[in-house]
Amino acid sequence: MFCSSNRPEGRRFVRACWISAALVAPLVLGAAAAFRFYHLRGIAAYVVAVLPTLPILWVLVELGRFLAVEKDEFQRNILIQCVLGGTGGTLAVTTIWGYLEDFAHAPRLDLVWVYPIFWLFVLVSYPVVRLRYR
Amino acid sequence: MSDRIKNPARDRMEDSTLFILMPLLVVNLGLVFWGFGYRHMHPSGIWAYIFAMAFALLGVAFIVIFGLYLKEEQDEFERAVWVQSLLWGIGATLTVVTLWGSFAEYALVKGLKMLFVFPLFMLITVVARLALKLRYR
Repeated sequence: MFCSSNRPEGRRFVRACWISAALVAPLVLGAAAAFRFYHLRGIAAYVVAVLPTLPILWVLVELGRFLAVEKDEFQRNILIQCVLGGTGGTLAVTTIWGYLEDFAHAPRLDLVWVYPIFWLFVLVSYPVVRLRYR
Repeated sequence: MSDRIKNPARDRMEDSTLFILMPLLVVNLGLVFWGFGYRHMHPSGIWAYIFAMAFALLGVAFIVIFGLYLKEEQDEFERAVWVQSLLWGIGATLTVVTLWGSFAEYALVKGLKMLFVFPLFMLITVVARLALKLRYR
């Protein structure tokens, strides 16, 4: 979406996404290993559980920052519409799945899946939004 | 009152709320009261899916109606405040569910159902909207 961005703000956001993606896997594996081998409890357990989420949350902060500083109104508007599309899609899926869990005994979906679902819908929204401005 | 007359997008949303969301809400409430019996009977198969969809339809209809309202809203300020509120809403919701999901993954807290995501988002969005309204007062 922003791979072709020449603006420093866009480049910074793309860099944050790549670094975050690179950090998540080792942190998740590290946290899982720490829980498995050290049987963490108390504050230490919470700190280690937070670690894999930090790169993910960093992307959200960078997204907010990007939206705040982006000067190209058109690009900003497109991204906002994609994020709103992602929001709508995520809320629809979580609501439908939640009721299916409740009534139809659908498999339990962990909350950690909400974040990937959101980005999936943002990506799906992008071509739809672009088509509107063609 | 004059605000309503000047805002057809809001009028349409109010109409949709009255004629689509309210009947769906009544159906849902009916199902909730009847639900005691429903749960007692443990229906399965297609009926379970129909009940789940009937409940979910209210949330999905709300999303669609509000999306159309945002698209049609002509008042730039009102639209900008809503968009900012929604962005804060989704940002904070994703933060909370990701953190909670991670804690639940390592059995530090009880896992929450997916159904909590929508109310959490609504709560944060409403708080963000109030804060933004205060800021722009």
